[in-house]
Amino acid sequence: MQAIEVSHLTKKFGSLTALNNISFSVGEGETFGFLGPNGAGKTTTIRILTGVSRPGSGTASIFGHDIEHDKIAARQSMGIVSENSNVYDDLTAWQNMMFSAELYHVGRKEREEKATELLKKFELYDRRDDKAHGFSKGMKRRLTLAMGLVNSPRLLFLDEPTSGLDVQSNLIIRDVVSELVLEGVTVFLTTHNIEEANVMCDRVAIINKGNIVAIDAPEALKKTIQSVQSIEVSFDHNSANQLDELSHLPMVNEAQKAGDKFKLYTEDPSELIDAVVDYAQMNKLKIVSIATLGPSLEDVFIRLTGLQRGGEGIHAID
Amino acid sequence: MPSIEQRGWAERLSCEISAAWAIAKKDMRIYYLKPNIIVSGIFFPLFMFLAFALGKNTPPGTLIPGLISITLLFSASSIEPVSIPIERRVKTFERLLAAPISLNSLVSGESLSGFLYSLGIACMPLAVGIFIFSTPIVHVPALVISMILTAFCFATLGTLFAAYPTENVGEVISILNTVRLPLIFISGVFIPISAMPQIGQSIALISPLTYGNDMIEYAYTGKSLFSPLLDIAALIIFILIFQITANYLYKKFNE
Repeated sequence: MQAIEVSHLTKKFGSLTALNNISFSVGEGETFGFLGPNGAGKTTTIRILTGVSRPGSGTASIFGHDIEHDKIAARQSMGIVSENSNVYDDLTAWQNMMFSAELYHVGRKEREEKATELLKKFELYDRRDDKAHGFSKGMKRRLTLAMGLVNSPRLLFLDEPTSGLDVQSNLIIRDVVSELVLEGVTVFLTTHNIEEANVMCDRVAIINKGNIVAIDAPEALKKTIQSVQSIEVSFDHNSANQLDELSHLPMVNEAQKAGDKFKLYTEDPSELIDAVVDYAQMNKLKIVSIATLGPSLEDVFIRLTGLQRGGEGIHAID
Repeated sequence: MPSIEQRGWAERLSCEISAAWAIAKKDMRIYYLKPNIIVSGIFFPLFMFLAFALGKNTPPGTLIPGLISITLLFSASSIEPVSIPIERRVKTFERLLAAPISLNSLVSGESLSGFLYSLGIACMPLAVGIFIFSTPIVHVPALVISMILTAFCFATLGTLFAAYPTENVGEVISILNTVRLPLIFISGVFIPISAMPQIGQSIALISPLTYGNDMIEYAYTGKSLFSPLLDIAALIIFILIFQITANYLYKKFNE
């Protein structure tokens, strides 16, 4: 039985088609990434899969339970961690956990044991009697995740789990998710952090303007755009016009500066390495490091969604 | 833990009731002492009542039934119009919408907190009547039943108005007040229904406060415009109408 089965799902808001006849399935125990630019349809998909919103047409089922007609049974097996850390600021961490468990019909003894275990795991147990409004962003995020796990879900929806978090919270959350995956929990992950999806997911779907444009394992997706290769080089010292000069080397399709490194996109890395070595010699620069890189999942994402790179990241064309 | 489909109907009902109770407890912990709830639930009916009652040439004790009626109206309908828009803004309401509970339990749980708050607050004028003015209560069971039904009716009304899809508390309260304020003038609280013009008497029939106030008057004086059974039936019908409409609106606005 599939954990999630989506068939020909369409959702319109007035004249806007938020989801256009999308279909996919997620196997039990799989970690599935759902990537897309803002407004692509990720949140609409999650809202339908969690039964908050109704599809215009098509069906979605969770472990065989139709989300529209058998909503309560479908939801019972889910944990939902929304993008906003939606904890109750005026309740303590413990009260938040108890409330979440009561909503999911977890018995008293079981919910107390589970809450203790999770609060310890997320390093919040010592603060269990403190109201959440005094918590940092990372602590609230950890509490949100703990609340999402209090019913021991078979399927976990994780919406931007580590977005904008401190290193400690980030590591704790990733460790816990890795443990869940080992325990066989199915994870449906949306993230803007493409590297996170690359590392964590068995498969990813890329959605753009309501359509699924690709769905496969990250490595398989990268193979589809082998023409996008790059070399990454750093010199012993940098100057202001270096990026411009490097972008004019033969074979360079695009150049980017990332910290003390330059990433040069090309279709012929070996030719470009020669050109970079010549450039270094001419400008009396020493090459500190140089490496050839295959296409990243981010490259796949950009190619398939029609986005373009800017100085600091990815920007939508429209 | 057995899955939901393996549970019998009695256990499922118990799950729904305990989830509704959990929602009510959460609201009690978070909202009962919020300043705008206290103003809206306690001070507003008190000052409104004083504004109309002071200067009337009637013994203060006879005003207690009216004070109880408007206290029930304002306090019962004051929690959800505050809590739900706030929870929409901070996205905790989404947590309730995605929980494995029916919309009926969600709406009932929300109403339950307004109901209990209202009963607690209405004990104040009740106590003032008993201990300060020695106002006699002729039918205690009728008073208990009327207070319970009136409180639940207006708590459900508050939940119904909070279905309006906004994150702004003021917006819901403004819309609600366009209904709540006229109710106190057309329901026999300040002006007896029999003294109203014909059109006023006809409008009074569609106000739930008319039946709540009528039964509370009956409990205190033994006299009423309608029979207590009719008052009970009318209040139950209003509760059902508000509950069904609230279910429909929460479903519709979240699609």
